[in-house]
Amino acid sequence: MAEFQCDVRDLKFALLEQARIEKLFDHPRFEELDRDTVEAILDEAYKFARNQMAPMNPIGDREGASFDPATGKVTMPAPFKETYDLYTANGWLGFVHNPDYGGQGMPYSLGMAVNDLFFGGCLSFSLGPLLTTGAAHLIETFGNDELKKIYLENMYTGKWTGTMCLTEAGAGSDVGAVRARARKEGDYYLIEGEKIFISFGEHDLSENIIHAVLARTEGAPKGTRGISLFLVPKTRVNADGTLGEDNDVKCTGIEHKMGIHASPTCTLTFGENGRCKGWLLGEENKGMRAMFQMMNEARIQVGLQGASLANAAYQYSLQYAKERVQGKDILAGKGSPDVTIDRHPDVRQMLLQQKAIGEGTRALLLRTGFFLDMAEVSTDPEEKERYNGLVELLTPIAKGYSTDQGFKATELAIQVLGGYGYLSEYPVEQYMRDMKIASIYEGTNGIQALDLIGRKLPARDGADMKNLIGMMTKSVQPHASHPLLAADVAIFTKARDALVAGATHFAKVGRDRPLSPILNATAFLDLMGSVVVGWLLLEQALIAWPRFEDICRAKNVDALDSKATRGICEEDPDAAYLHDKIKVAQFNARRNLALCPAKAAILQAGDESAMEAML
Amino acid sequence: MKILVTVKRVEDPEAKIKVKPDGTGIVTEGINYKVNPFDEIAVEEGLRLRDAHGGEVVIVSCGSEASTTEVRSALAMGADRGILVKTDQTLDPDAVARILVKLVEQESPDLVIMGKQAVDDDQNQAGQRFAQYMGWGQATQASKRANLESEDEKARKPGLVISGETVEVTREVDGGLEDVRLKLPALVSADLRLNLPRYASLPGIMKAKKKPFQNLTPEELGVDITPKITAKRFLSPPMRQAGEMVPDVPTLIKKLAEEAKAI
Repeated sequence: MAEFQCDVRDLKFALLEQARIEKLFDHPRFEELDRDTVEAILDEAYKFARNQMAPMNPIGDREGASFDPATGKVTMPAPFKETYDLYTANGWLGFVHNPDYGGQGMPYSLGMAVNDLFFGGCLSFSLGPLLTTGAAHLIETFGNDELKKIYLENMYTGKWTGTMCLTEAGAGSDVGAVRARARKEGDYYLIEGEKIFISFGEHDLSENIIHAVLARTEGAPKGTRGISLFLVPKTRVNADGTLGEDNDVKCTGIEHKMGIHASPTCTLTFGENGRCKGWLLGEENKGMRAMFQMMNEARIQVGLQGASLANAAYQYSLQYAKERVQGKDILAGKGSPDVTIDRHPDVRQMLLQQKAIGEGTRALLLRTGFFLDMAEVSTDPEEKERYNGLVELLTPIAKGYSTDQGFKATELAIQVLGGYGYLSEYPVEQYMRDMKIASIYEGTNGIQALDLIGRKLPARDGADMKNLIGMMTKSVQPHASHPLLAADVAIFTKARDALVAGATHFAKVGRDRPLSPILNATAFLDLMGSVVVGWLLLEQALIAWPRFEDICRAKNVDALDSKATRGICEEDPDAAYLHDKIKVAQFNARRNLALCPAKAAILQAGDESAMEAML
Repeated sequence: MKILVTVKRVEDPEAKIKVKPDGTGIVTEGINYKVNPFDEIAVEEGLRLRDAHGGEVVIVSCGSEASTTEVRSALAMGADRGILVKTDQTLDPDAVARILVKLVEQESPDLVIMGKQAVDDDQNQAGQRFAQYMGWGQATQASKRANLESEDEKARKPGLVISGETVEVTREVDGGLEDVRLKLPALVSADLRLNLPRYASLPGIMKAKKKPFQNLTPEELGVDITPKITAKRFLSPPMRQAGEMVPDVPTLIKKLAEEAKAI
């Protein structure tokens, strides 16, 4: 059985049929793209993910990155270097980035689809490129021309990698507590301090590592308003671009973790010998603003990790369930033959739940990516603001909901495999361990929930939420008397109303009982995620339905006659795909969306027992 | 030097193939297609030879319009231009060989590289027939002595050795390898261990669309493609029967001898 599989058909469906990214190809920036090219890119990325990345995923898990205390060097598992060289040589690293600096200039939405494949292939590997482009994009936005000239192309082409150095022992979720110091010395600063949890802070994949470091200048205000952002290379770069002296950045250890073992999580000390030079990115004390740019991009990518690993785990457990023979068909009599476990109702439910999570959150992430593209290419300021608003509103959902649910999907995959799922011989338990970090890093999901209710809901007087509700209603409402999906549309409508009621409730009680929204922030994020993902799955079903009807009509079969259509689906995988797009939407509406009114009632009930408990 | 490499559009080897109920062919709905894996190896070898000796790699495919995708994949790997001989008729290996003869008359390549066989119908004939028609030397099942983990392979060193007017080829034969030397022009067909084909790069995929691409038809080439072989009926292999537990070794031997007639 193949270790890693992705339903590329579903990726193409969400990208081309649902988000309809073809709209972008009219724009001069993307005029070289067309449908065939998009498909060729996805097919090639899948090939790379499957043949090159996936085989090293279990090796990375088993061997992990290793640290030598004597030299401070980190060695990656053997196959990583070769894959990194191929990955960068083939242009995948700077996929969505600026072609003027060595990037490939592709749309974000397509970049998300490509990363869906790469994360599924090997998450720990893919984090290196992700951090590199994140750091490089900071330099592109906030660096001066000289810094851009020296660093950007080398980073977008992967010759040098990058990191994000935020966290310190006393500054995690509270970034304002950063203590690292920066002292101005002419056109540069001397950096001093210790950072922890720095992914790819040290490794042997590239010849230099460029750190984006948060630190305080002398006399800077306390808290987040006194934080500045610096570019700090591991090895200094001469004016002609060649590598110069060591820059006094040292790795003093790496963490032993639950998952992503091949992603080295480093402790770095800067300026132990007082020789660590850094260059300011942007203005002094404006570091947080800069960091938010990087963080918003990264949060969407982390959400994608949730969707991607959920799908990878689902595909594996699905193949397993189709092959593993155990027990009898529950409705068949004694003496009937043993069946594969995908015939058992409980297993089928688990498979469909995984499918709903995986494909639903994938649709959410790709749509968010498409909004990001539209915000970039749009020339109408009002439209631009509308798309930017949608991206901002959806970012905490995309990150928090996708990783919470994605984790559940990987856990269900283990359950489908039973005892074998618990063994490291099978890949699903690694997916679960690797996935867990996604609800923690780049702002815990609790922080995402606070961001959602505190910043995103009230932003622009709630206009973004209104836009989103309007968009959902517009796509689903016309189908209120759909021949097959009317009942599911009705469930969605109630769920949507519950979401509106929940949001309105926060606005009302917030002043009198400030704790109430905070205590219910996570519940609200879950409610909103359920509604948005439920909408996207329903929208997919509404797109799939007329196509399914066409196939049935061509064979003179009534599309509503489920017995008759079964034969068509068994013969034609395309018909089966469309059929199951409808089934997963119905499953999700009836089992997940249907819970939304209760979820809304809970957050309006004002329970504060957690605050009252002595603990 | 000019190298002509053929690629065939085949059903994804991992797809579950189903035979149509009336036995006239296989169900094609929802099947993914890709470049025949042996042809990818042929393309890779062509690219390595071009990079070592200069010249160009021309990709040829025969089949429906849809085969454009497979020609483009080879262009995305780095080949220079493509030719599609377009027909919706089923082609047998002899028709393909005769189409190639006409193309080679037009293109005059120094070397033709093909996959040793296509994984859809496993005929392994087109190359041999083509070489025979041309009166060329042929080296089928081309392999190499260096293994696929070697430094030579990592450096993408060609397995075929061209010097002057000849090409040296290591062939896979029963029980080992055989070295042959052919006079150019010649036909070589690629086996599994000749090389590891490269991945297409993103810039390669983007450039592939802009590379010269010629559409021809068998009629334009003056080739009669009326098949000499026709498939009468398609059948799925019989389902494997369940095994039988026997109480002891003597019973097993008895059954093997009398029922299975295996001993």
